[in-house]
Amino acid sequence: MFFKGINHYGDRGLIIDFGDESSQEISKKINQTFSFIQELKLPLLNITPSFNKIVLHFKTVENKDKSLKFLENQIQKFQPIENSSKTKIWKIPACYEDPFALDMENIQKIHNITKKDVIDLHTKTIFYTYYIGFMPGFPYLGEVPSSLVTPRLKSPRVQIPARSVGIAKEHTCIYPKVSPGGWNIIAQVPFDIFDIDHPRASLFLPGDKVQFYAVTLSEFENIQKKKLSLQELIKKYSQ
Amino acid sequence: MNSFEITRTGTYLTVQDFGRFHYQHLGISPSGAMDHRIPLALETIITHHGNQFLEFAYVGPSLKITKGAIKACVGGECKIFVQKQNNTQIEHKPYTSINLFEGDELTILNTIDSVYGYIAIENGLGLQPCLGSFATDTKAQIGSISRPLQIGDIFNIEDKVSTWDIEFNNKIIIEKQSNFNVSPGPQMNFFSDEAIHQLVSTPYIITSQSDRMGLRLKGEPLISDRTHDILSEGILPGSIQVPTNGQPIVLLRDIPCTGGYPKIALLAHEDISKIAQLPPGSTVTFDL
Repeated sequence: MFFKGINHYGDRGLIIDFGDESSQEISKKINQTFSFIQELKLPLLNITPSFNKIVLHFKTVENKDKSLKFLENQIQKFQPIENSSKTKIWKIPACYEDPFALDMENIQKIHNITKKDVIDLHTKTIFYTYYIGFMPGFPYLGEVPSSLVTPRLKSPRVQIPARSVGIAKEHTCIYPKVSPGGWNIIAQVPFDIFDIDHPRASLFLPGDKVQFYAVTLSEFENIQKKKLSLQELIKKYSQ
Repeated sequence: MNSFEITRTGTYLTVQDFGRFHYQHLGISPSGAMDHRIPLALETIITHHGNQFLEFAYVGPSLKITKGAIKACVGGECKIFVQKQNNTQIEHKPYTSINLFEGDELTILNTIDSVYGYIAIENGLGLQPCLGSFATDTKAQIGSISRPLQIGDIFNIEDKVSTWDIEFNNKIIIEKQSNFNVSPGPQMNFFSDEAIHQLVSTPYIITSQSDRMGLRLKGEPLISDRTHDILSEGILPGSIQVPTNGQPIVLLRDIPCTGGYPKIALLAHEDISKIAQLPPGSTVTFDL
């Protein structure tokens, strides 16, 4: 079986358990299973995937009790097969310069590397989008090269500027909006990554590949001025 | 068109319905009314509410009719006054319809022994849904109006009120409860029998650091045998999560969509409305 089991989560919830570990291989199975469950049209309020679990939230207790057997039967028959034609490959500009890179010095100190090393390590990696969570459009990207793996801030910031790029442990992220948070901030992107008026809503979706490239402050400002829509961003920065 | 203006916000005045669903995988929380029972009760008096309710916490707002006439109804335990243009003041009761005319100002004072109150307006608030819902999540800035309401906000309400007769429902009882049955959370096995016993045998106090996201409780710390830092996973409303300090947090409506604290237990869905009405300082107990 490609998952560990289905467990109860309160009177209206279920958790499909894919174990305690996290890997891109597990994540791909999760995202395939997510699409499969969506197509089953169960009486659900939400399906929430993450690194190694899928949480199902049913409308009523009766809905859950009735759906459990059916779900178990269907999922037994399902074989997750990777379908990369549905995912996008992104090249995203980011400015790693002073007004934005709030924790650059701290990261350099921890790892005893130069600013150029941090930028090189972060821009050479092609990140995988695990899932969208925490806040609307917030992508969990991984894995950060081992020499950049940094723990969360001991005391979270009350306000992180919108569009900030952060690192926490082996993951990197972009904050879609102003938010409190504990990730180490090293850069900022020059556009919004979430727009509820676009059918996709989130620029990044699970399974997407994301690579950053460094831009100067003036290049950053030039892109920012264009105020590109989500549709324009898809055209310009993804394949 | 008829219209009214917010002339006093009270505290935490937002537009709510029964929640925004099917988007948690994009990081969008269910949100919706903290106490579902009250908007449901208001529905028996104001039938065409358009699923657009005003929610306030502790202190109610003032609304001034700027044009035409509006039929409204207030739910919750609170004192309600209407200031007429000739300076007379009339007191009204909850769950009774109120006809408001141009120049009238409706004022709701503080909620009594509870937290949340609601206002329903015949024909709704004239808003468009956002991702299928009128609910507001102010932290995520999602909603028909994606922020708390402000003084000067104006709502335009459709005409065609079917009856201006005063309607009321005196059978409404919003029960108070402070003892809750919980079911095991996904990480209950992270906690020793002693810790679980503590959760169900000692009282917890609701602290003032509580909001639409959750209630922060204070009591005997619940320390996990394994870890308080798991890989983030999906969260359901009503979950009781335990961060490193061992003080539980009951997650309510504007929940984080995924989170990395172990969840020791979970409230029944219906009990979220009940626990949300307990003001800071209240004591809660849990049964398993």
